Amino acid sequence: MKTLLMTGVLLAVSGASAVKVGVLLPLSGPSSVSGQAARSGYLLALDEINRAGGVLGKPLELEFADDGSNAAKAVPEFVKLVTVEKVDFMAGGVSSGVSVALSGPAKQYNTFMAWTGAASTVVEDAFADHPYFFHYHPWSYYNFEAILGYFKYLKTYKKAKNIAIAYEDGPFGSASIDATIDAFKKAGFNVVMAEKFKTASGNFGPLVSKAKAAKPDIFYWVGYDTDALPLATEIKQQNLQLGLLYGTPPSWPVGFEKNKLADNVAGLSLWLSSSPNKDSRAFVAAYKKKFGTVTDEYFAPLAYVNLKTLTAAINRAGTTDKDRVAAELAKTNVATPFGPLTFTPSLKTRYQGFKAGNWLHFQFLGDARVPVFPIKFAQKPMVYGK
Amino acid sequence: MDLLLQTLVNGLLQSGLYALVASGLALAVGVVGIVNFAHGEYLMIGAFLAWAGSAFLGIDPLLSLPVIAVAVFGVGALTYRVSIRHVLLAPELNQMLLTFGLGILLQNLALMLLGGNTRTVSTPYQASSLQLGDLSVGGPKALAFALAALILAGLYAVLYRTTVGRQMRAVAQNRRGSQLIGINVDRVYLIAFGVSCALAAVAGVLVSVLLFASPTVGLVFALKAFAIIVMAGLGNLTGVLWAAVLLGVSEALVQTYVPGGGGWSDAVFFLMIFGTLVLRSFRGAR
Repeated sequence: MKTLLMTGVLLAVSGASAVKVGVLLPLSGPSSVSGQAARSGYLLALDEINRAGGVLGKPLELEFADDGSNAAKAVPEFVKLVTVEKVDFMAGGVSSGVSVALSGPAKQYNTFMAWTGAASTVVEDAFADHPYFFHYHPWSYYNFEAILGYFKYLKTYKKAKNIAIAYEDGPFGSASIDATIDAFKKAGFNVVMAEKFKTASGNFGPLVSKAKAAKPDIFYWVGYDTDALPLATEIKQQNLQLGLLYGTPPSWPVGFEKNKLADNVAGLSLWLSSSPNKDSRAFVAAYKKKFGTVTDEYFAPLAYVNLKTLTAAINRAGTTDKDRVAAELAKTNVATPFGPLTFTPSLKTRYQGFKAGNWLHFQFLGDARVPVFPIKFAQKPMVYGK
Repeated sequence: MDLLLQTLVNGLLQSGLYALVASGLALAVGVVGIVNFAHGEYLMIGAFLAWAGSAFLGIDPLLSLPVIAVAVFGVGALTYRVSIRHVLLAPELNQMLLTFGLGILLQNLALMLLGGNTRTVSTPYQASSLQLGDLSVGGPKALAFALAALILAGLYAVLYRTTVGRQMRAVAQNRRGSQLIGINVDRVYLIAFGVSCALAAVAGVLVSVLLFASPTVGLVFALKAFAIIVMAGLGNLTGVLWAAVLLGVSEALVQTYVPGGGGWSDAVFFLMIFGTLVLRSFRGAR
């Protein structure tokens, strides 16, 4: 306590200015559920950081901006944060389409990016040579590794063989689709359909009709939360018989679990509030205390971890110098609600946080998201329709 | 053959929703003579009201539909009084800027009040459908189609069989002449604009059942509605249903039979606007 106080006094005397972190999030538009969840995570972390003495002895300042889930809106907001607000570091990020558009200005201004979201390999390519890009969210091939593991299990134990794929036509859904199809085929699956769709259009009639003609066991869709209910509705209306409807949106619509159509829909999550992990329980308790609710959106704890680790690195560095903060952030080795976090190289980037081992597969069962795979984490047996 | 039949049904059902949105827009353009770029935002208000009624009061969106229609008629009438009527004689660009700004204002108000999250309602009939062998006819979309046909027929009847309808047609044809024969033009505009907004809200209620409510939900449908009224001819109510069916079915055919067609669906309506305008200018030139 004494040391902390002394450090604070010394830094205050030395005249270090308050650290400003710019947070660019989709607070509106198709990715807004994730963006709003992330905002809550940042606010919770901000409270805790400032209660514990702030950063470099001064209260941490966050500057939020809404990218509207839209690259055209995101770029000027990013540039404004960096050049007008003069933030020291940039955090946030959800959508791949937005993140890839930011690679230009990020390199132009040599911006420090502690980036939570964006799974597409297009983003990985775009930031491959950026020295200050710390990526927390797993890349899509890590996600897919986890999905393939689950589907292989379904193939062995449920005789699931035919897969229909529906993917949104932006970078999130489309970038790795050829590799995805190849990997499914290599694993012995028949890809009976692979169709694009426009996210948020809600027009899934023709796509589901095509799937029905192809008789899949698993319907695998890659899109955003806005597509979840229209797709589930259309599948039910057209009486498409499936073993499993499996989706990978970064978040699900608010209240989706209460809708009957959500029953047995499965998905992928980095985290669930029911996780028994000690840090997860602490996060859930703190979140409930601040907001009065519990969330299952993993972007909330991801943003929380993002800000906590970034500020810890700045404090360890004792300065906002980018090279020194990067060196400290690279040494991160902490327990988080997702499990341990360290930064190691990915296929293309230097600092990758979470990888394939962190994913959970869940099903909407009885108004809740219940982990069903890996089996050791399963809280209930999965429901398979065929 | 089954797939083709199902594709045609899918397109037909989708067109009901499009026609519902476009009918209100056609009324505003045809009678008031204003291109309302905020039309999608009135749909959004309807969707949010339906969601709120369902989430907080437990009222089924379809039961709350008449109340929402009346409430949004009021919002539309107020909008007309406060803003629209002041630009009716202004250059068209100013009118467009006003309604465009109005759309941004309403969207951002919704964002401030409700946040950007997607809200969904849960009803027992949401996934209901009629199965005819392998053919599926979705319940809510069939309802939207029936409602659109009914509303368009009703609007047609009102316009041709009632005093207020005749007044609307007269005002649409000649504003000054109508004033000279004693028609209260301002009142007619207010009613037409209010009804146009109410129709958007009715579509919004169905959108809340079929899809979701969010501040940006109106945009997709407003764009389609613009395409439809261009195809039908500005202000042509009778053409709206046919143009909507043409758009809905074309989209469904492209999505089903063109490789990667799901990604091309937005191109369909742009192509149809383009084709219609070229055809019209060609006819005009002759």
